[in-house]
Amino acid sequence: MDMSLNKKALFIATGVSLLLISFVFYGSRKLQNFDPALIIYLFGTVFAFFGIVYRYTVWLQRPPTWMYFKRTFQFFFTGKIFLHVISFAKEFIQNIGFQKFIYPRGRSRWIGHFLMATGCTMAFCVTFPLTFGWINFTMNPATSINPSRVHMYEAHFFGFKMFEFALGSFVAFVIFKALYWCSWLVIAGVLIFMRRRLTNAGLVATQTFEGDLLPLILLLAIAVTGLGLSYGYEYMKGIAYDYMAVTHAITVIMFLIWIPFGKFFHIIQRPAQIGAHIYKKEGIKRGMAVCPHTHQEFATQLHINDLKIVTKELGFDFTLEDGTSHLDLSPEGKRSRLAMAHLKARQQNGGNLFG
Amino acid sequence: MPVTNYRTEQEFFVDMQRCIGCKACEMACSECETNGHESMIHVNYIDRAVTVQTTVQVCMHCDDPVCANVCPADAITKDEFGVVHTANTARCIGCSNCVMACPFGVPKKDEAYDLMMKCNMCYDRTSAGKKPMCATVCPTQALYYGTREEIAKMRPNSTPVNNFIFGKESVSTKVNIMMPKGSTSLIID
Amino acid sequence: MAHLPVSPEKLIEQFGPHLNYPPREGFAGRDEPDKAVKTHCCFCGMQCGIKLLVKNDKVVGFDPWEEFPFNQGRLCPKGVQRYMQNNHPDRILQPLQRKEGVGFTPVSWDEAMDKTVAEIKRIQEKYGKNAFSVLSGVSLTNEKSYLMGKFARVALKTANLDYNGRLCMVSAGAGNKKAFGLDRTSNTYADLEKAEVIIVAGANISETFPTLTHWVWRARDHGAKLIVVDPRVIPLARTADLHLPVRPGTDSALYGAILKYLADHDMLDHDFIDNHTTDFDKALAAVKDYTLEWAEEITGIEKAKIELAAQWWGKAKTSFLLHARGIEHHSKGVDNVLGCINIVLATGRIGKPYCGYGTITGQGNGQGGREHGHKCDQLPGNRDITNPEHRKYIAGVWGIDEKDMPGKGYTAYELIEAIHRGEVKGLLSICFNPLVSLPNNNYVREALEKLEFYVCIDFFMNETARHADIILAGSLQEEEEGTVTTAEGRVVRIRKAVNPPGHARSDTSIILELAKRLGAEDKFTYRNSEELFNELRVASKGGTADYYGITYQKIEDTMGVFWPCPTLDHPGTPRLWEDKKFATPDGKAHFNPVTYRDPGEITDEEYPVILTTGRVVSQYLSGTQTRRIGKLVDLYPEPKLEIHPELARKYGIKQNELVQVSTRRGTDEFPANIVETIRTDTVFLPYHWPGKKSANQFTPATLDPVSKIPEFKVCACNLKPLGVISPPSTASGAYASI
Repeated sequence: MDMSLNKKALFIATGVSLLLISFVFYGSRKLQNFDPALIIYLFGTVFAFFGIVYRYTVWLQRPPTWMYFKRTFQFFFTGKIFLHVISFAKEFIQNIGFQKFIYPRGRSRWIGHFLMATGCTMAFCVTFPLTFGWINFTMNPATSINPSRVHMYEAHFFGFKMFEFALGSFVAFVIFKALYWCSWLVIAGVLIFMRRRLTNAGLVATQTFEGDLLPLILLLAIAVTGLGLSYGYEYMKGIAYDYMAVTHAITVIMFLIWIPFGKFFHIIQRPAQIGAHIYKKEGIKRGMAVCPHTHQEFATQLHINDLKIVTKELGFDFTLEDGTSHLDLSPEGKRSRLAMAHLKARQQNGGNLFG
Repeated sequence: MPVTNYRTEQEFFVDMQRCIGCKACEMACSECETNGHESMIHVNYIDRAVTVQTTVQVCMHCDDPVCANVCPADAITKDEFGVVHTANTARCIGCSNCVMACPFGVPKKDEAYDLMMKCNMCYDRTSAGKKPMCATVCPTQALYYGTREEIAKMRPNSTPVNNFIFGKESVSTKVNIMMPKGSTSLIID
Repeated sequence: MAHLPVSPEKLIEQFGPHLNYPPREGFAGRDEPDKAVKTHCCFCGMQCGIKLLVKNDKVVGFDPWEEFPFNQGRLCPKGVQRYMQNNHPDRILQPLQRKEGVGFTPVSWDEAMDKTVAEIKRIQEKYGKNAFSVLSGVSLTNEKSYLMGKFARVALKTANLDYNGRLCMVSAGAGNKKAFGLDRTSNTYADLEKAEVIIVAGANISETFPTLTHWVWRARDHGAKLIVVDPRVIPLARTADLHLPVRPGTDSALYGAILKYLADHDMLDHDFIDNHTTDFDKALAAVKDYTLEWAEEITGIEKAKIELAAQWWGKAKTSFLLHARGIEHHSKGVDNVLGCINIVLATGRIGKPYCGYGTITGQGNGQGGREHGHKCDQLPGNRDITNPEHRKYIAGVWGIDEKDMPGKGYTAYELIEAIHRGEVKGLLSICFNPLVSLPNNNYVREALEKLEFYVCIDFFMNETARHADIILAGSLQEEEEGTVTTAEGRVVRIRKAVNPPGHARSDTSIILELAKRLGAEDKFTYRNSEELFNELRVASKGGTADYYGITYQKIEDTMGVFWPCPTLDHPGTPRLWEDKKFATPDGKAHFNPVTYRDPGEITDEEYPVILTTGRVVSQYLSGTQTRRIGKLVDLYPEPKLEIHPELARKYGIKQNELVQVSTRRGTDEFPANIVETIRTDTVFLPYHWPGKKSANQFTPATLDPVSKIPEFKVCACNLKPLGVISPPSTASGAYASI
């Protein structure tokens, strides 16, 4: 990764972050609905947001990424946009929602990942709007005065009342305990992954602490301290509450700030997979490339043509003497050509096996 | 990467003329702990109708890997020993850029996994000071793993070459191909 | 016993072959095995060292054994996948009894043994001792080979015992005994390293002994010239300095012409011929008319190439000649072998460093298994059952009266004929799948259907076992201790890695139990395989294959001992004949005259194309084990008919088109693989498959008059394109073909 400052990205990230801040300001009705206790989380989130947008922009500027980004949008908005929307939605549910592609790699692997992903996504859905002051809950004043009535809560979004629910109802249970469920899902998923990472010899050999184990430890710490906060409050009379609160805050902020730079960036990157699928589908419609060696179709011609552009932008030129490109060959064709070149070199050297 | 007992004096040497196409390497590669019973090494006939000649292709571990350069997801990395690692499973979006751009035809896309996989020089073994599985079992030693001195002594009429010319592009690699004595590069045109 | 109890499809459903694949992340426990057992691969005579990883009494993986001197960790695809035969769903876990209309039902060991012994007694009482026969196999350890021989002669008292070595190296054995008085490769393969010229005659080393390739390449690193004689461009021939594409069935003409050329151009070692050999003049007289032109006419090899080969061989200072089934599977297999030996002896390049000769034995224990007496005419130590002194010695070791020892019985294929004639009524088989591996196998099937009682000891339900009345659940190689002798003559240890699963028992314990029930308990009192080996040592003492000085401990200490090793302080004999004292009665090596004659079946108008058979790298022999290993089957899922484009054009055959192949013995369909790497007058089929995919339904039962090896390598066939492109090989299901 290029570590020098990318002005374009800085500009975009700053702009988008300012936009977010203004959304927070107005979304919380000029901070009326903002919970000051969450201020530290707000700072962390905004900073993470800045980082993500910056990193994303830097990432998009890389020739191969930009090529895909550009093409995906071209395809999306040309031709049968409606069909693309449907297939996009379908893929989004399958691949982002359910991470279908992980299942063939291993069942326990999928279960673990699905638990973690679901836990995290649900937690994001709850915590970000809360932190931004976009949602808040108030007690219906009418019900609170009258002791004989069931206390009703009102949920507000951007300051608008959305719906009402009774304290002690199932809805209340689900809403107020949402983060519990998230934590338990994450903990279960992390444990499955931890076990894999500590016992599978292949993983043990190739994983790194900061890249693979630390993220799991961080998620575990967030989930455990989060649970500790709530359960400690309920069952332990707040013993170690401060400690839990501080640890929770620290781990969450570490997590947030680390998103753009570490393993968690894949959450942001993953939708590109759908782009790659659309790219392939459109490419197939436009025609396949045929390998001059094997005489078999092996990729879309669009892909090969784009790769020729991208490799040139990256400083590689596989143009051959006869004007064709080495990239016109399929992988099998390329391997064969290498072996043929080796044979040719032997033949030019007298033809005998050289020892 | 953690560990390591990676022995930097040991290198990989490939000599396709010795390959008998038996696929012991493919069988052994899929036994490697890091790739879940998929073989990452490629043995295929050049053109069976005319010859029994086969290719044998491991990842060449390029100094400036084209695969990593064309990866839109930054999923491929090279470590301090020059080993180019297989796609990071979290990042890889299965686009196949690397598969189509690698001049040696090495990476392969597993459609079910929506993931690219490639040879990582048996990192579970090499990082523990052992030889890669394919080079250990290769019955003809078309795949050899050892020091330069050893191979120079064993094969006095060969020279290891790690520079490959594909038209206008010159690619240098960590893995060597054995060529007739005195050769400096292998030209693929 | 009659026809199959149920349809073969039903038997396959229950007993396989099914394909065994490892789980995606390997077997549980592979990362932390309980032990890594240093033993040897069970496939082929190389007997490569390998470590089996064991967890909870199951083999869960392998590791290269880099210290073993022959292969130093190198393996072929079969070796890598060999561990998949263990832990296999098709494994027979208890004795089975045939039940008409049902198939096979489990029975207790007692019931199975009772029934078996009762039938043996019934048949022998009714029809005579020799009416019950035994077919054994050479993938068995030395101990088990020895035991089978003794069991047949002492417990069953039958003369009719033979083994599948009959399909393997008997021609080489007979030739070597004639010439040298002893049957073993003369050198270790390390002697290839500095041979100047190597002739590989009818040995597809690259597919059948892949790990031997290393030593051939080592020689070439030192500048050796490689000459490959084969009707096909096998992978070894691709880079060979000289490829002689011999017409199948004409090998002896080639070696005869070379001998004449050597003599005509005085490229002979006169000193060696004069002092250490006999009958050179007779051998020369036999080839006096074998000019290069004549040889070209017969063999179809350009005479310039033959001349070049003769010159290289003649001028070399060191050399190695290797041959295998390609020249041995013929009705003149022994002649072909003798032809090769003649040119080795003429140049005197034997018994010296880097000067070697030998057959490459094919089966797992092809060397040791052929020495210790489960062959119809042989007693332990490679002794002769018709030789009174040999009989007396072995009778002494066994504690029986020499007069009670049966004489020479029928060879494997002759036994099938005897069953047809009604002379033989009962059969016990172990380690042999004749329905796939014998020639003319439709005739073999009919024989099986005529048996009154057939008992089979095996770990999988092989194709032949489907015809059995009783199947005794036996053991895999890794389930019993023992020794084998590699193709180099190195005696090595097979180590028990796991116990037989379920109620399966070790082969040895099954045979001992049968012996006991047949009333010969006192002659079979071994407590373990080492005691069995120690008796074998004594039995072999003084024989040509003398193991007396080899002990388990000595093997342990040295990673293998080369026989002959007559005394405990003897270091073993890696290189034979260094003293120029041969094992013949006169102490000299013998030339043998070889006159050319045609193969048993030659092409004619009705059957105009030569069919030859062989192996592929991913399969082992009749495939009982390897057709059950998924990844090996995937490498080459079904047999394809290799045919040259010129011949294909003549018949209008297209790539992958189904072609009907017919010989005088059978007709079936195979997809065509059109390749330039075969002679234009010859087609090739590999033989590992049963039923409709079987190559041995075509091959003739023409036997060599001396060795009685069948002529697998030549017959005449006719081809007819069927106008249908065959579906992809992956869908053929050939591994379980019926």
